[in-house]
Amino acid sequence: MAVASFRIDTDDQGRRHVRLFGQWSLRAQENNFAKLKKSLSPFFSDPSIHWDLQSVEQLDTAGATMLWIGWGGKLDGRMVLNSEQIATFDMLSQLALPPPVKKSRDWLAPVADWGNLVLAFFDHVRDIIQLIGLLLLEIVYLLRHPRDFPWREFCANIYKSGVTALPVSALLGFMIGVAMSYLMSKQVRTFGADIFIVNILGLSIMRELGPILMAVLIAGRSGSAMTAQIGVMRVTEEIDALATMGISKILRVILPKILGLTFVAPFLVLWTSGWALAGGALSANIQLDINYRFFFDYLPSVVQPVNLTIGLVKGLLFGSVMALVACHFGLRIKPNTESLSINTTNSVVTAITSVILINAWFAIATRGIGI
Amino acid sequence: MSILPAQMTVQTPICEVCHVYTQYGDNVIHENINLKIAHGDIVALIGQSGSGKTVLLRHIIGLTTPTRGEVLLFGQNLHTMERMQQRRLMNRFGMLFQQGALFSALSVFDNIALPLRELKQFDEVTIHKLVMHKLALVELEPQHGELLPAQLSGGMVKRVALARALALEPELLVLDEPTSGLDPDRSEKFVALIKQIKHALGLTVLFVTHDPVTVAALADCIAVLADKHIIATCSLLELKTMDHPFINHFFQGYSAQLMEQK
Repeated sequence: MAVASFRIDTDDQGRRHVRLFGQWSLRAQENNFAKLKKSLSPFFSDPSIHWDLQSVEQLDTAGATMLWIGWGGKLDGRMVLNSEQIATFDMLSQLALPPPVKKSRDWLAPVADWGNLVLAFFDHVRDIIQLIGLLLLEIVYLLRHPRDFPWREFCANIYKSGVTALPVSALLGFMIGVAMSYLMSKQVRTFGADIFIVNILGLSIMRELGPILMAVLIAGRSGSAMTAQIGVMRVTEEIDALATMGISKILRVILPKILGLTFVAPFLVLWTSGWALAGGALSANIQLDINYRFFFDYLPSVVQPVNLTIGLVKGLLFGSVMALVACHFGLRIKPNTESLSINTTNSVVTAITSVILINAWFAIATRGIGI
Repeated sequence: MSILPAQMTVQTPICEVCHVYTQYGDNVIHENINLKIAHGDIVALIGQSGSGKTVLLRHIIGLTTPTRGEVLLFGQNLHTMERMQQRRLMNRFGMLFQQGALFSALSVFDNIALPLRELKQFDEVTIHKLVMHKLALVELEPQHGELLPAQLSGGMVKRVALARALALEPELLVLDEPTSGLDPDRSEKFVALIKQIKHALGLTVLFVTHDPVTVAALADCIAVLADKHIIATCSLLELKTMDHPFINHFFQGYSAQLMEQK
């Protein structure tokens, strides 16, 4: 076993020879073909030089290919080879050539890209409408066969996306409440309007922050989990297995996720808003000396209860939209890792974007209520 | 080149499993396993489902470590080596996983090219040539290189995975269930292909299988894993004279099949 090496010598007729020695093979671990190629390159370009491979111990395809490409893809009288090596080079010459690379620039490409984006958007819209249609059909089926309602999956989803999210949403709500109240209290104090901190916090948290905080958290937490789960179920053919058992994937996989999240979202809004208000009350108490009891007694009289209703309705809407988006992207996943990652990312981004768009629309639509 | 190192390379077994014990919790899988694979052998590892064949295979290629004992590959222990040397040693064997384990986001061409590109010694023209050679070696067409793993049939996945395992011209080829999921005709062809490549490239082959036909067609030497031990390491003919419930059962169906043919 010896590393690949070469030597240049001149014979009595004045011809120069490159003699190769050792293992010109990947099996000799110390070989570095990049370096060998570099040190051989002056001889590759010299048409008068002769090559002697008779002292080579082993020549594998990697070594042969390097030499073959260096020689310009052909053998001639300058190469001294044994029969085995000739067979290797013959085999190499019969392999397919790389396809020519198209370098021409396509000026219409940007237009085509935009067109494709628009088409992709319509593709999504069509798929979502189709999914909603299928869900409605399953609901009609359930109305006629109430015994088939997937209670187990429904409850499991409530637990997974609702109950296990309680600690983190409480922490998040509380900290946001504390921060908001702290900053606001500095502002209201300059106007001597300490008492208005209750109005500001009550309205903003119940109506806006509670639902949005919940939505962002749940989209990142449960939405991505739903997309990935449905995607992997497709990759591992679990969805097909369900189909062969005569079990509808929409009924057993999609519907419980959407109903579960829709059901649990208003409660999460209530829970998050509650902790945010508690955080706000804590900050207000420290900064403005507002008594806890006074804060919560005064709250219902300045913030109309309808604001809470709006918050809960938003929660309901956000929950169903997020679950729908998550399931939609999950069903689009193709059986490869790249598609899984792209669709999971898209699912979360789309869910949060659509929640914020809906929220903006809702703010305008309900501008006359409760303020 | 001195004579001494050459002799040493001949004498050192490609792979040596010494007194290996494996235990997961209270579940003992291997007890004092010893196995030697010499250069040029084709060794089959057989045993019941759950007898720990794949675990032993994973010990050998360094994916897992045994609870006790040592596994030597090319005379060296993978787990006590430096990172660079470890990587070099790992290039000396190729593994064919049961499900192929192709990278699903890469095309067939890129899957085979990946180990070559990782070596950082070749330009793209050379890599193209080498990949085309590997495709030809496993009897696939150049245009198959553009397909994604999800578009391949079961037999093609195995071939591509074999081509990837062979990309770096390994000395040892490790196969986990090479013929599972293939029909008898395909599996016969695949075994013939492995045999042909073995002779062409001078490989040592270690494989795990459930299929007596594959064992009979491919293996020179058969290691039987049963009751946590290797109960036999011998040729097929010697094995048939042995009396052990698993061995009897393993070849029963196959012998009946052969009798019918006669």
